[in-house]
Amino acid sequence: MMSLLKDPVLLAAALGTSLPFLSMAVILVFTRQNQRLSATISVGSVSVSLLSSLYLLITLYGAGAPVQYEFPWLLADDIVIPFGYLLDPLSLLMLTIVAVISFLVQVYSIGYMSGDPGFSRYYAFQSLFAWAMMSMVIAPSMLQLFIFWELVGLASYLLIGFYYEKWSASQAGKKAFVMTRLGDIGFFLGLIILVLGFGDLSIVRMNEAGQGHQIPQYLITISALLIFGGVMGKSAQFPLLTWLPDAMEGPTPVSALLHSATMVAAGVYMFSRIFPFYSMSPEAMALALAIGTVTMLLSSTMAMATYDLKQVWAYSTVSQLGFMVMGLAAGGYFAGVFHLTTHAGFKALLFLCSGIFIHEYHTNDFRIIGQQGGRKLMIPMVCMTVGALALSGIFPFSGFFSKEAILGVLANHPNKLWLGAGLVGALMTAYYTFRLIFFMLFPRGVAAAHGVHDAKGSGHGHDDHEGEHHGYIFWTMAVPVMILAGISVVLGFSQSSLESFLMGHGSVPAQLAASGGEGHAAAHDGHGIGHYALLIGAVTMALGGIFWAFMEFGRKGATQEGFLRAFPVVERLFAARWYMDAFLRAFLDKVIYSGLTNVFTRNDRRVIDGGIDGICFFTVAGGRLLSFLQSGMLQYNLLVMIVAVGFVVLYFLLA
Amino acid sequence: MTPMEMASFPILTAILASTIVGLLVIVFIPDGRDKLIKQVSLAFSAVGLALSVWVYLTYDVQKGGLQFVERYLWVKGLGIYWFNAVDGINAPMLLLTAVVLFTGVLTMWELEVRVKEFFAFMFLLVAGVYGVFMSMDLFWIFVWYDVSLFPMYPLIAIWGGTRKEYGGMKLTLYLLAGSALILPGIIYLWVQGGAGTFDLFELQRIGFTPQVQRVAFIMLYLGFGILAGVWPFHTWSPVGHVAAPTAVSMIHAGVLMKLGAYGILRLGMTLCPEGLGYWSELMALLATVGIVYGAFVGLAQTDLKYVIGYSSVSHMGIVGLGLSTMTVNGINGAVFQMFAHGVMTALLFSSVGYIYDKTHTKMIPELGGLSRTMPVASAFFIIAAFAGIGVPFMASFWAELLVFISAVKTYPVRGILAVSGLVVSALFMLRVVQKTFYGEKNEKWEHIPDVPLFLATPRIILVGTILFFGMFPRVMLDVIQSAVIPFVAGLSV
Amino acid sequence: MNSLNVYLTIGAALFSIGLLGVLQRRNLIGMLIAVELMLNGANVNFMAFNRFLAPDPTVGQIITLFVMGLAAAEAAIGLSIILALFRRLHSINIERAQQLRG
Repeated sequence: MMSLLKDPVLLAAALGTSLPFLSMAVILVFTRQNQRLSATISVGSVSVSLLSSLYLLITLYGAGAPVQYEFPWLLADDIVIPFGYLLDPLSLLMLTIVAVISFLVQVYSIGYMSGDPGFSRYYAFQSLFAWAMMSMVIAPSMLQLFIFWELVGLASYLLIGFYYEKWSASQAGKKAFVMTRLGDIGFFLGLIILVLGFGDLSIVRMNEAGQGHQIPQYLITISALLIFGGVMGKSAQFPLLTWLPDAMEGPTPVSALLHSATMVAAGVYMFSRIFPFYSMSPEAMALALAIGTVTMLLSSTMAMATYDLKQVWAYSTVSQLGFMVMGLAAGGYFAGVFHLTTHAGFKALLFLCSGIFIHEYHTNDFRIIGQQGGRKLMIPMVCMTVGALALSGIFPFSGFFSKEAILGVLANHPNKLWLGAGLVGALMTAYYTFRLIFFMLFPRGVAAAHGVHDAKGSGHGHDDHEGEHHGYIFWTMAVPVMILAGISVVLGFSQSSLESFLMGHGSVPAQLAASGGEGHAAAHDGHGIGHYALLIGAVTMALGGIFWAFMEFGRKGATQEGFLRAFPVVERLFAARWYMDAFLRAFLDKVIYSGLTNVFTRNDRRVIDGGIDGICFFTVAGGRLLSFLQSGMLQYNLLVMIVAVGFVVLYFLLA
Repeated sequence: MTPMEMASFPILTAILASTIVGLLVIVFIPDGRDKLIKQVSLAFSAVGLALSVWVYLTYDVQKGGLQFVERYLWVKGLGIYWFNAVDGINAPMLLLTAVVLFTGVLTMWELEVRVKEFFAFMFLLVAGVYGVFMSMDLFWIFVWYDVSLFPMYPLIAIWGGTRKEYGGMKLTLYLLAGSALILPGIIYLWVQGGAGTFDLFELQRIGFTPQVQRVAFIMLYLGFGILAGVWPFHTWSPVGHVAAPTAVSMIHAGVLMKLGAYGILRLGMTLCPEGLGYWSELMALLATVGIVYGAFVGLAQTDLKYVIGYSSVSHMGIVGLGLSTMTVNGINGAVFQMFAHGVMTALLFSSVGYIYDKTHTKMIPELGGLSRTMPVASAFFIIAAFAGIGVPFMASFWAELLVFISAVKTYPVRGILAVSGLVVSALFMLRVVQKTFYGEKNEKWEHIPDVPLFLATPRIILVGTILFFGMFPRVMLDVIQSAVIPFVAGLSV
Repeated sequence: MNSLNVYLTIGAALFSIGLLGVLQRRNLIGMLIAVELMLNGANVNFMAFNRFLAPDPTVGQIITLFVMGLAAAEAAIGLSIILALFRRLHSINIERAQQLRG
């Protein structure tokens, strides 16, 4: 306790990460009935987290070696599970991102969730989410990371299924939990194998030992492949990606949080956390690269065929996550983390903007929002366009810089196939993003829609929203959005300072660079002539995508149908998510439910219980058979007795 | 063995006496004074709880070994001792029993049928359980074991629910069959020992030949294994749990099944380490099958209590798997899991009990949307379900972690299979939670009030216990470990 | 003719008649009387052996006295059972009392 007070850094780390937990407990136990108080407690605690993370970032900006605190949490024979904090550039950066986004989302939610009967519960879960994610981020060992990783899963289950009265919402929550659990089994097994083979799960030591070839190669490969299972689950990589689009069943601010800084970011973060370890296994890196690429391309195609506002962003998240994994797997440590950072900003922005539209128009279909005059909401519309530009990778928005970094890494990869895939991905991203934007900016059939709208009775303002445009509810939602938009505009220019921070002395990749790893080199090699060619190529792709979308959806007289209309089979394929859900459903129904479950249940009833009942039956039947002797007629019994005695007498006489 | 110091005050006998005196007092209260009976029961279970907590907290982890020893010769010719003691393995078990009894009494606060007989039988049952956990004499362990078995039948057959006669009969027969294996096993060891003693540790020092150990171990394993719900002798457990009244299900799944695992550990593994080595492959196999199988069968159930019953089968498989690894962490995890699962199942049954009392159904398809009408009551079940899934910060997480690490090390294939069972267990728990508590508000249950604070107390205590040991696992694990490390060292010698 | 044989024959006859009565009578009182006959058959045997063969003449007499006491007790208990049965079944016919049938 004393050390806690003497060391401000430790105090800030402990306070910042554990306050949200306390606020969750207080809200759930005491202030459930008082919505205002609940929100105040939650936002208050997350702002303390924000302040302490900023404090940590500033204090430790130039600090050389990572600062590490560990306390034994569990001692079991040879297994020691510490609880502690590891403060190095990566965790500080991520901690700040999580705190900023959580804070903004919680402020935004004051408006978005106002009047919801589960308001207090919502804030309790938000606090849980923030606590789990922040504690995960600064975990010094993989086991602590895993523990909070599971809690992140729990929190997202609770928040995705927040509207539990809706069947689809609770279904989506369950799907998210079970699918990520599937990946976590791999993660867990990977950790176990590592514990057994290496014996230490401290992140720093793991990375050092991996780099120093102190761990046998086969062990690294096996455990890295298994641990990647966790990334596949949490970060929605192929084939465990379909839970993420469904996860939009939760309230929109939750999606913003889930898709940017928490849940899905956890996977990529974990990947980058043990990047030096991971990069020692070329096989695992190759697999990750392939899976990232497949994920990115598949989900981009899915995004082209949906008309659901949130779903487009959901697919784009999956695809950007695939892109990050590609970047990391190709050796671009900084590129991957940088894209994670910028993506957190603009994806939160996009979701929060969408939230304002959805709150206003009570629909997720962006065609209807467009027709009902969505573009009149200036602030969210502008901010959303900023987010879209960032997502497409247009200069000077943040996405441009980070995408450029990843493409630079891919360009250095010996196999140019990945670069090609990355460029195709950039094209598709720009296309589906601006397909949405143009639908909302240049709606068709506005007149017809107006009729519908008027029929509802109240011009523009849906019921009670009239006065809210400039009321506090609107502004609690608009201000976070504007802040995020600002961040998305300027964040890209901090690339070099971030890079020196992340790759600087004392950080894990610095050792990587020292030992001749490719990550650092790749990030720097980009600045040649090839780099400019690549830059132009990428921007061309993005602009091409926007132009393509403009031709189909934006310009006057455009049909707003899209090229996919011409290929109905393909469109159906994309819209049905390449039938991945159908396959999973069939697998679940055929193999799990009517297969194994059925067999086991029958076995229980028929074989085991049947056998036992059979034994009982024969016992009872035998007794019944013998009981015929017991006729109940006293005199027959006597007769039998006497005859028997007679036989005994005879026996003795004859013997 | 470490030298034993006799306790100055026989606190263990006092714990035992708290139930037996309680039983006598209840018997002599005139009929019809239901309120008084409940208060007396609560008071006596509180005494037991207080003493158990005190024993647990004052147990000296540094010193380890047997503490609070009471050892008096009882029958000289047969070598029977009144020998009670506590070490790191049974200290958590005593605590568990006390917690579950206390919360069980509170859970049955609204009972109206034959109140006196119910609590009398319940105290008798728990007296047996305490006796098994604290006794270090084979004779007394067997006696207390049988004392704990026979009240089950009247408790289920009189106050039970679904198919109560069938369930009660099945359970009693199964357990007596187990008992019929244990008694010959104990007598066999007594005869082979040749020293004319029932003292567990004197027998341990004799050291039986491998041949004897193999025979004795399998008898004890199967006998206690039936009670521990080892696959394929598990089918009494769901049926019995479904039939039993709430508090009995709590005690039964929460404590009595642990009695089986404890028996395997205390008798089988202590006395027959070589027998354990011989049969451990089989143990691990049965445990793994139990884990996966229980989860799958749980997936198909429509009765809430059946689901919990099968989850118990699955979770007790984890205990069995931990024991079969014969490593420190495996047994650490197994004992921890015994405690964690006990509290968790008690919570599950307690929550279901409240729901059943109010809605008069425990069929999942008839329920649904309960969260809207009784959020607090539902929250307890949901928390317990998460504990069952093995979410961190719940006591069972640590237990499962330790068991799985050791299992993958000792039996890689079975270990990996068992870990994969976690996905299925998540699936079936979440399925139940979704179908029972989520979904549209159900008109049928609209009039039902949420659980009032007093009636929620037992569940609050249980949730508190789960979370406390989930957050501070060392409070439990250090104690367990103080016994397990020397124990495993003894195994390998 | 040896006088012992005469007594033994009478005793055997009494016993057999009693046995037949127990097995054949349906009336419980009749059965009770038949049981008394059997006991007395045994008594005759005891007295005969006592008179002709035993070295110590008192043993047989003591046993006979015991049997008579026993018979009195048996009659008392038997009659009370019969009374209870009669209250329950309104009959003393043995065929009505079959509740112990398996």
